[in-house]
Amino acid sequence: MSRKFFSGPFILILPSILAIGFVIIIPLIFSFYTSFTSYKLTRPDSLFNFVGLRNYERLIDNTKFWYAFGRTILFLAVVLNLELLFGLGIALLINKITWGQRTLRTIMMFPMMFSPILVGFQWKYIFNDNIGLLNNFLYLFGYESAIPWLIDKYLAMGSIMVAEIWANTSIFAILLLAGLLGIPRDPIEAARVDGCNSWQVFKNITLPFLMPFIFIALTIRSLDVGRAYDIVHIMTGGGPAMRTELLWTMIARIGYKDANMGFANAMSYVSIILSIAFTYYFFTKLVQARRDLGQQ
Amino acid sequence: MKFLKSILVVSLLSLPFSAFAVDENFSNDKVTMWGDYSGITLDVKLIGGAPYDPLYEVMIPIWEAKTGGKVSILSKKSHFELDKEIKQDIAAGNISYCVVSNHTSFATQYGDIYRDLNGIVPGDFLAEFVPLVLDHSTVDGRLVQLPQHSDVSNLWYIKSIYEDADNQKRFKDKYGYDLAPPETLEQWKEQAIFWSDPPNFYGTQYVGKEEAITGRFYELVIAEGGALFDENWKPTFNDEAGQRALQWFVDLYNAQAVPAGVLNYLWDETGLGFASGTVALNLDWGGWGAYFNSEDSKIGGDVGLVRFPMGSGGKRGGWSGSHTYSILNGCPEENLEAAASLIWILTNHEAQMHEARGGKLPTMTRVWNDIASEMDAAGNEFMSNLFSTFSASMAEDAFTPPLIPEWIPFSNIIFPELQAAIVGDKSVKEALDDAAKETDYLMQDAGYY
Repeated sequence: MSRKFFSGPFILILPSILAIGFVIIIPLIFSFYTSFTSYKLTRPDSLFNFVGLRNYERLIDNTKFWYAFGRTILFLAVVLNLELLFGLGIALLINKITWGQRTLRTIMMFPMMFSPILVGFQWKYIFNDNIGLLNNFLYLFGYESAIPWLIDKYLAMGSIMVAEIWANTSIFAILLLAGLLGIPRDPIEAARVDGCNSWQVFKNITLPFLMPFIFIALTIRSLDVGRAYDIVHIMTGGGPAMRTELLWTMIARIGYKDANMGFANAMSYVSIILSIAFTYYFFTKLVQARRDLGQQ
Repeated sequence: MKFLKSILVVSLLSLPFSAFAVDENFSNDKVTMWGDYSGITLDVKLIGGAPYDPLYEVMIPIWEAKTGGKVSILSKKSHFELDKEIKQDIAAGNISYCVVSNHTSFATQYGDIYRDLNGIVPGDFLAEFVPLVLDHSTVDGRLVQLPQHSDVSNLWYIKSIYEDADNQKRFKDKYGYDLAPPETLEQWKEQAIFWSDPPNFYGTQYVGKEEAITGRFYELVIAEGGALFDENWKPTFNDEAGQRALQWFVDLYNAQAVPAGVLNYLWDETGLGFASGTVALNLDWGGWGAYFNSEDSKIGGDVGLVRFPMGSGGKRGGWSGSHTYSILNGCPEENLEAAASLIWILTNHEAQMHEARGGKLPTMTRVWNDIASEMDAAGNEFMSNLFSTFSASMAEDAFTPPLIPEWIPFSNIIFPELQAAIVGDKSVKEALDDAAKETDYLMQDAGYY
């Protein structure tokens, strides 16, 4: 046993195990423990005040949390679908181009280069009801009312979705473009010889080949969007009246502003159910798509 | 479009807050705290932003030149962001820096991380401060902060629209009394609605989120004759006075007498909005005064000021507090004298005169007199009126929020409910009842009852 324990391969991977332990496992265990305490950031001694399941029990009755949970699912569903749609469209168009494709690929990646904070400020300015570019553009065409983009019940969430989609659609486009470039030409040419039109080629050949890439992109982005914070925090702060409150803006407020980290961590652990569910679903679909293509 | 152009001109072509010259001999300071601090670097975290930076830009280089010490600014951000950072620092045990900006409304949250300044700062120097302000800076019997300036709000207005004969006639025909800056909350609301011509011109505005709107609601509750809590700390803000206070915000919003995005506004948005000349009445602190009336503002030379209008309870609003500096317990002993010297130069007579020339309210009794004399001698009627108006407010109207650690968590409970009523998601009563219920839990958990 001890010979195995100190064997060469184990010693070689020991630094990785230690790094993962310190960086991931210990913080996870610590934060999970604090979710059973009344830990307040400003009262370090409260770290040892064990309250059992109280934080989780309160969470079950907390309607604001469940509204934020539902809003996050809606946000995920809309953003992921639209990003997929736009990303696929952009990838297909760029794939058709024979001249200047590299330049376009670089331009397409510009939004990804901005920090989410900057993207938030940029769109907050565009959607500002008084000094925003959008409303002032509408005034030019005779519209005489200030549209409260970041206040209205539906428009506020829509405005944040626009910012999120603008910033991240290129992730889909790049991954799907990589998929398109890897599709063998033979089946497509054979289908055309057999008289298939473009839609039939796309539906029966291109799309099945792309499905694994689509599900990989959806998995990555679902984890990202499920943690959406920066853009929402800058544009609306989750308000007004919690109309744009998502899970992580709520958790950050309770954890850092109210300093109620025990309760915030309990919220976090319930929230990751969402990420696990989406990841599990997309991975199942990924395996299915690969199986359909005859891959392992 | 007019609003866009105005805001762009104001915000891009001007620096809202200028640094005024100071007497580098500090000849008006009765107590000085110079020393040789060569080799000492003080780590500090400061509140930042246009109203605060000019003082640092003037005073910190002087302090470094005269003492040989160095100031390393680890962080400079809005107080809401600084508050979050301090809480994280406490949790991480990272509180070994020396000087930090503080506020009387926030200080009670942070436990015992600050040094008692009694004994560190000379008694002669402390004796210069307004006793009540020092009292508000004391937590659990310990003087944990030294006040830089105080804030309380009064009502700024554009003079020319009130002096216009046509406006006066139209207003009297409609409301039956002479047009003059409002004396009551009801008049304020009526006049705001009268002035509004959205989206180009608005009657008034208010800060619409976070502790800012909580504080505004709080002072309207007091003006309406109510209170946030009873003597046992049970929430009472959902009574009739509280409902009247919140209804005032709702009515203005529904009448489009405030900008539609007002619930996303904080102090910079309201200050710059008023300076852009597109808002008739603006409740704000004195710190914007010199800027409002300057050439950089679209309404420079056309700005009037009156006391906070009275509510139906016969009281005026007067939500007040002080921006302060604290020294942390973690500050090394060998840096303590230098840290005290640094907060001295940021709060002394010269520093407060520098700030008062821009309209900020001093915390030293002598500075109130000296700044008034200076403005009178210069024939600056605007600034003389500013200080007489704010002096009366500080003396007769000002009150702090409850100085308890639960103030910010309470604010985080109530402000989304206030917003919900304003945008119509809930009725006024429903929103306040919901907030009261959650506040009840908060106070129970904190052990008040």
